[in-house]
Amino acid sequence: MNMQQSLNSNNNQESFLDHIAAKLGRGRIHHVERPKLFLPGRKDAPATEELVGILKEQCFFIHTQVIESSPVILQQTLDDLLAANGGGAVLVSADPRFAQYGLKFADPLLWEAAAGRDENIRRAAAAGTAVVFADYALAESGTIVVESRPDQGRAFHFLAEHYIAVIERSRIVPRSTQAAADLNRRVMTGEPIGSCINLISGPSNSADIEMQLVVGVHGPLRATYVLI
Amino acid sequence: MSLQTDNRKFSERTAEGIDNPFMRSAVSSAQDSLKTRRLTAATALGEWEEWRKAGQQIRQHTLKHLDYYLQELAANIERRGGHIYFARTKEEASAYIGRIVEQKSAKRIVKSKSMVTEEIELNHVLLAMGCEVTETDLGEYILQVDDWEAPSHIVAPALHKDRKQIRRVFAERLGYQGDETPENLARFAREVLRQKFLEADIGITGCNFAVANLGAINLVTNEGNGDLTAAIPKTHIAVMGMERIVPSLEEMEVLDNLLCRSAVGQKLTSYITVMGPSAPGEADGPEEFHLVVVDNGRSDILGSEFNEALQCIRCGACLNVCPVYRHIGGHSYGSIYPGPIGAVITPLLGGYDNYKELPYASSLCAACTDVCPVKIPLHEQLIRHRQKIVEQGRTGTADRLQMKAASRVLSSPSLFGKVLRLANPGSRMVSSRGRIVRGPGIVKGWINARDLPQPVRQQDSFRSWMENRKGGAGK
Repeated sequence: MNMQQSLNSNNNQESFLDHIAAKLGRGRIHHVERPKLFLPGRKDAPATEELVGILKEQCFFIHTQVIESSPVILQQTLDDLLAANGGGAVLVSADPRFAQYGLKFADPLLWEAAAGRDENIRRAAAAGTAVVFADYALAESGTIVVESRPDQGRAFHFLAEHYIAVIERSRIVPRSTQAAADLNRRVMTGEPIGSCINLISGPSNSADIEMQLVVGVHGPLRATYVLI
Repeated sequence: MSLQTDNRKFSERTAEGIDNPFMRSAVSSAQDSLKTRRLTAATALGEWEEWRKAGQQIRQHTLKHLDYYLQELAANIERRGGHIYFARTKEEASAYIGRIVEQKSAKRIVKSKSMVTEEIELNHVLLAMGCEVTETDLGEYILQVDDWEAPSHIVAPALHKDRKQIRRVFAERLGYQGDETPENLARFAREVLRQKFLEADIGITGCNFAVANLGAINLVTNEGNGDLTAAIPKTHIAVMGMERIVPSLEEMEVLDNLLCRSAVGQKLTSYITVMGPSAPGEADGPEEFHLVVVDNGRSDILGSEFNEALQCIRCGACLNVCPVYRHIGGHSYGSIYPGPIGAVITPLLGGYDNYKELPYASSLCAACTDVCPVKIPLHEQLIRHRQKIVEQGRTGTADRLQMKAASRVLSSPSLFGKVLRLANPGSRMVSSRGRIVRGPGIVKGWINARDLPQPVRQQDSFRSWMENRKGGAGK
């Protein structure tokens, strides 16, 4: 704490902001009404099956495999996927949906706050596959949205080679607009929100060498979405 | 690296760019591919002009109330247990970060791509302190391994290098033994950098947008290095240009959509992350989060005639359509911010003394203005720069004399007529096969790239033909 005080002791926030206001030709202001956004695009709410179609098509472009499953056969689907990707340890969280769908893995590694930073990161790096449940899925961009929680840290999504996101169909929305609006509603009403919100669209990639796409750079090399 | 990447004369830098056929072919193929991808993504979204307008309105609203939103951001960062520091100059910014490094006794630092940290010369400061600094964006890492070469594009920093060069650099400096396929080169970098992430004491990132009402920053990446940089080390320092802020996640969403499509033609990049200080009970993420808000000349742009340049979201779309960038390449600009937006903001941040040539590195075709997702009138701002440069008497003596002479001749019909009569005999010495082949100043600039036909003989000119036809009926 002392260190913070000494670090910030020369902080000049007020003079910095006064200077900005002066450059804008006015004094400081203390209330601003955020203008309402009028965005183009579809205003209707497409049916889930249409959204699934859009999501699947987009996933083709982002190098992400989509598998249609169901709650009843989810365990089998995941087991098959793990086997097809060489097996290995599976990183899981204490998300209640693992229990809800009765999921069990042969070699699980659990992300748990009590294990601390180093051990959790070690587990995440040791896992061949990480399995998450999406909080939202965005059809247009093939994106899943997940939030950090004590039982599911930030590095959870980035260290395993294979990333599996289970998407409950009811969580698919048309695009990022709806997810941002809902997240912002939670911010405005003071509902709890993750300290880190990840919008993840497929595996990591780069085109830094001769503009040629390489799938799999720092994060996962492969991504699979399982729809239930 | 600082704002200035090359202190040679502009003409020397551009001559080097133009004489580098590999760079020119790499840049033109990258431009073609990025241009097409942007267009496809914009068309797929539909009503692109409406989205651009929304982007422009968001940026203008935020800039107009910048002090308010920065204050809201500061309050929310602090409420979440983070620290925010306002730096008026680059020296203040890097000194603050240096103090954190010192107090943490940090030795190993990982960074994810950030132009503003280049601007504040952060690496220079950290290396001088004896830290090991690793740039983790693949393109930036390649440049770092090659003796910290300067980036040549805002989005694709190593655009000017080919796979052979990269393989050679990796082999010489890192003992790489694989072939030159991008997959293998990237996989090798992944292994090396994974270890750096796991060992790092501090992670330093830029910030695409800060989100005022949440007290968080937004990073838009494809590789995942930004997330690892922020998640694994115990301390995360984010650095932002003071104008890179949005009121809420809703505005962020609009700008991220415009950014991803304009920069690389993706609907959304692989990783779009909104992050701040860790919450109590979380195992990873920063125990200590610092956000450094950098002015470094931006407040002088605010409220000025160049205010709209601050709307920039650093997508690089203007570089990808610029015919001048295509031929001279990013390094010719001598700035970490190349291309049309670089030609506008570099002289504002770095002054006309060093950068008065940049506003002339444009054909004023306005392709940049056309593609800008937040509607910055780039070519108009370049013209405004030129006006100011002339008004301040910063043009060379030769230029001034030529303009003066042209003005005399063009404003006097009799003088103009005399010059026309003398033009053909006068140009014989410097012409060959009907083309002028030598000449001073503006003539030389023109004939470098184009034909300049020799003026016709007086008796063959349109004027004489008009006067002579049917007894002068043209009069």
